Amino acid sequence: MKEFLSEFNSKWAPVIGEAIIETFQMTFISLFFSIIIGVSLGVLLVLTRPNFLFSNKIVYFILNIFVNIVRSIPFIILLFFILPFTKSIAGTVIGVKGVIVPLVVYTSPYIARLIETALLEVDQGVVEAYTAMGIKRRSIIWNVLLREARPSIILGLTIATVSLIGATAMAGLVGAGGLGDLAYRYGHIQYEVDVMYATVIILIVLVQGIQMIGNFFAARLKRDS
Amino acid sequence: MIKLTNVSKSFQTKNGVVEAVKNVNIHVKAGEIHGVIGYSGAGKSTLIRCVNLLENPSEGNVYIDGEETTHLPLKDLRHTRQNIGMIFQGFNLLKTATVYDNIMIPLRLSGLRKSEAEKRVRKYIEIVGLAGREDSYPSQLSGGQKQRVAIARALSQEPSVLLSDEATSALDPETTDSILDLLLKINEELGITILLITHEMNVVQKICDHVYVMEDGEIIEQGPTIDLFTKPENPTTQMFLNTISQRKISDELLAELTDAGTVIRLTFVGSATGEPLLASITEKFSARPNILSANIIELKNGIVGNIVVHLDGNRSKNTDVLQYLQQEGVLVEELSHIQ
Repeated sequence: MKEFLSEFNSKWAPVIGEAIIETFQMTFISLFFSIIIGVSLGVLLVLTRPNFLFSNKIVYFILNIFVNIVRSIPFIILLFFILPFTKSIAGTVIGVKGVIVPLVVYTSPYIARLIETALLEVDQGVVEAYTAMGIKRRSIIWNVLLREARPSIILGLTIATVSLIGATAMAGLVGAGGLGDLAYRYGHIQYEVDVMYATVIILIVLVQGIQMIGNFFAARLKRDS
Repeated sequence: MIKLTNVSKSFQTKNGVVEAVKNVNIHVKAGEIHGVIGYSGAGKSTLIRCVNLLENPSEGNVYIDGEETTHLPLKDLRHTRQNIGMIFQGFNLLKTATVYDNIMIPLRLSGLRKSEAEKRVRKYIEIVGLAGREDSYPSQLSGGQKQRVAIARALSQEPSVLLSDEATSALDPETTDSILDLLLKINEELGITILLITHEMNVVQKICDHVYVMEDGEIIEQGPTIDLFTKPENPTTQMFLNTISQRKISDELLAELTDAGTVIRLTFVGSATGEPLLASITEKFSARPNILSANIIELKNGIVGNIVVHLDGNRSKNTDVLQYLQQEGVLVEELSHIQ
């Protein structure tokens, strides 16, 4: 067993290590941009609803449709469908750089919906109380809506991160590498079963770890039970 | 301090236009406590939300401290709102913040310096009797304590007006009493003008100087609390009074309790409560009053006593008795006369 591990290590460790780094790069760079875009979209989706702070039927309608359209397209189709857009933004359509744009396009509307759900759970009475105290709407967004929704937002972002890791597995199709690509090329095509197992174990540990961190912080912020 | 003139509010719904508030006039002078009582759906909530423009009235004017507020630009409206505290049935506290932060955050957001804000938080936590609970979260507090936090939050803005939207409706009777005592205390000690809405007669009884009875969006009866408790005219008002003192005696019960004679209700207000009038009618008219029920209601500004009495004997003699009682300042109401 020991022998097997050391042989496996010397043969595969560099490749797997590189794949992990690529997956991390793709996940966290995309996550960063997706959070900025997704949270803004989510907040807008709530604020522009009828009877909310910045009610605006037209903006709400357009945003809602837009989010639904993007959400309807599976990542593998989206990846190719928006190639021209990716090219114009990133300058390339291949490699880690080329896959960030489609990952952000894929994840942002998802995060927007998760944020929307989290914000809708916030007691509107508190918003009313703060409005009645003459507090600016901008302050209410930060200090009531986003603050009170923090536990649900963190859980939502955890879900989004896990789903993002899933999407990065398809990045191999545009030469961006990562764990998915590794499992496909070595594990499936070259039939290196050990690599397949190793990849799956690493992904399980990764997802498990992210979920645990998310749960930990959400529980720390949650105060209503 | 608060003045509403001809305020109406209608909503467009799927089933047409709903007039929630119709042509309401309210005037609360500085330092007074006024109450609007009505059943749910009467439009009370919409009405009180028109005072701080959480609802924009469709018609009419709202004056706060002499200033017309319905046409204020948002910036000035925010400023006016800082002068109007509000407490709610559901408390509306931040669940993720401590008692301390629940009061601190709005103060900081309204631009108060940290040191000044800290002073205020301490002061008002003390006033509402929550010293020592600063670090608790709302989920660790009872309903009454949560409402105290909400009151401290409202007071910490140092408003001259406090609006109370069913603030005691979610509380048990004992806690309700303690919150009402607190409202009386802040009214007396800080001079805050209070307008409250409620469906509980005991709230009105305990703290209101003036009452408005609301039904279907309209004020159907209004007056000083003591007048409404002694001379309620509208059937809805009488129903509300029934909830704290049984005014209506069913015909079956009357028939069971009395033979021939007259059943009257005597309402004593103020000085009349001190005189032994029933004894004197026995002496003067040799009438034989039989007390069927009696109660006493303690209002904020006085005491009202009610006695339902059966007088036997013929009508003409009883008429003399009633006249005598009326001369002595007692409100007399004939409930039935059985031949």
